[in-house]
Amino acid sequence: MCLAIPMQIVQIDGHNAICSVQGVRRDVSLSLVQDQALAVGDFVLVHVGYAIQTLTPEEARDSLDLFDELMTADAVEAESSSHA
Amino acid sequence: MSVARDQLAAIRALPLSGPVRIMNVCGGHERTISMAGLRTALPNDIRLIPGPGCPVCICPEEDIYQAIRLALDERVVLASFGDMLRVPVNVPRSAVRSLDQARAAGGEVRPIASPRDAVRIAREHPGRPVVFHAVGFETTLGPIAAMIEEGLPDNLSLLVSGRLTWPAVAMLLESEQPGFDALIAPGHVSTLMGPEEWTFVPEHHGLPTAVAGFTPESIVAATLSVLTQRLEGRAVLDNCYSAARPGGNTVARAALERCFDIVPAIWRGIGSIPGSGFALKPHLAAHDARRRFPGYADEARRNAGAMPPGCDCARVVLGKILPPECRIYGSPCTPRTPVGPCMVSDEGACRIWWSSGIRERSAERRADAPAAPA
Repeated sequence: MCLAIPMQIVQIDGHNAICSVQGVRRDVSLSLVQDQALAVGDFVLVHVGYAIQTLTPEEARDSLDLFDELMTADAVEAESSSHA
Repeated sequence: MSVARDQLAAIRALPLSGPVRIMNVCGGHERTISMAGLRTALPNDIRLIPGPGCPVCICPEEDIYQAIRLALDERVVLASFGDMLRVPVNVPRSAVRSLDQARAAGGEVRPIASPRDAVRIAREHPGRPVVFHAVGFETTLGPIAAMIEEGLPDNLSLLVSGRLTWPAVAMLLESEQPGFDALIAPGHVSTLMGPEEWTFVPEHHGLPTAVAGFTPESIVAATLSVLTQRLEGRAVLDNCYSAARPGGNTVARAALERCFDIVPAIWRGIGSIPGSGFALKPHLAAHDARRRFPGYADEARRNAGAMPPGCDCARVVLGKILPPECRIYGSPCTPRTPVGPCMVSDEGACRIWWSSGIRERSAERRADAPAAPA
C-alpha cells in the first residue's frame, strides 16, 4: 500500500498537476511538495495521487526500472492465474 | 544490476559466524526481495524476515466490520482502498463477511486509489453520507492529511484506521524474543517521516539498521550495510534510499500533526500498541465516522478483533513464522480463496510469497531460529 511511482510533471495548475509515466497521465496533487520550486519536466514520487517527494532524474530512472519489472511480474501473475 | 552483483559478492565474502536474521517492515521491500529471488542469491545464513509491513493485514477487524455495516446502510456510500475489499471479518458464514460481499448484497462500496477519489464521490452525492475508510501507514496518512486540509465536503467522514510502523518494531524489540538481529527500515515511511524515525533501533536496542529503497540494488546495499555493521560490532542508522531525505517531508509531517492525535491502537490479532494509531483531532470531530455513526460496531461478537480462526497471520505479521509455515498456507488459503488478510493484500507476506511461486506449505525454514552471536 506504500507503493509509490515516479512520474514526470507535464502540466501545473497551482497545487494540481498532470503527471505522466510510460504514457499514462494522472491528476496529481502537489500540495505535499508545495515548499519545492517545481516546473514542467521535473520528477516526483507519487503515492495515492499525491506527490510525496521530488526526485532527481537519476532517482526516477532507478525506480522506473523497478516499476517495469513489477508490472511485468504482475502481468505474468495475472496471466498464470487466469489459466490456472 | 552490476552494482547489486558486486555487493552480493561482497556479502558472500563476509566472514559470518552463524545465522543473521534481518527483518523488513514493508510489503514493497518484501515484494522486491521475493520477485528478485534475493533469498536464493544470499547465503543460507542470512535470513530475510518479513515483519509488520502490511497495513491491510493489521487493520482492526472491528473497523472492517464497522465499514461493512456502514456499507450495508442504504444511505451510506463507503469508499475504501481496493486492497481492503476482500479482507474477511469474523462473522458466521451466512453473514456478510467482507466489503466485496457487502457490495454484492447491494451496499454502495466504492474502491478508490486516492483519497481525492473520496472527495470527488462525496461531491457527486451531496445528499448522502460518504464514509472513507482511511487505512494505511504514515506514507498514506500524509496524503490523507493533505486531503483533509484541502477541504472536506460536509457529507464526507473518515473511519481512520491509520497506523505508525515504528511502534510495532519497538514493541517487538522490547519483547523477550524480538526474533531479529538487524532491521531494513521502510523507504517510503522514511520519505515522509525522515530516516531519523529509526535511530532508536541502533541507539536504544543496538541493532544495525539501514533504510532501503525498492530496487534490488538498494535492498542488497542495505543488507550489506547491516551485515558489515554487525561484523564490526557497531550499530548505526544507514540510509540507502536517497529519496528519504533527512527530516522527511516537512509539509506532510506538519499536516499530520495538525490533523491527527497519536493514540494507543489495536493491531489485528496482536492487540494494542502504545502510540501507534492516528486519530482525528477534536476540531475534525464533525468528519469523524466513529462519532457520526456510533452503533455500527459490535465488539461483543465472537472472535471480534481476532485474525480469522485457524489462520496464523498474526505470527506471520510479527515475523515469528514465514508464510509457508502457516497451518493453512496453500490449503485452503490462496489468493483466490484467502482466509487471512496476509493472503488478500498485495502487501501481505503470504500473497507475495505465493505470487513469487512458493505454493507449498513447509515447516522447514523457521524464521525464529536463534542466531549465533556475531
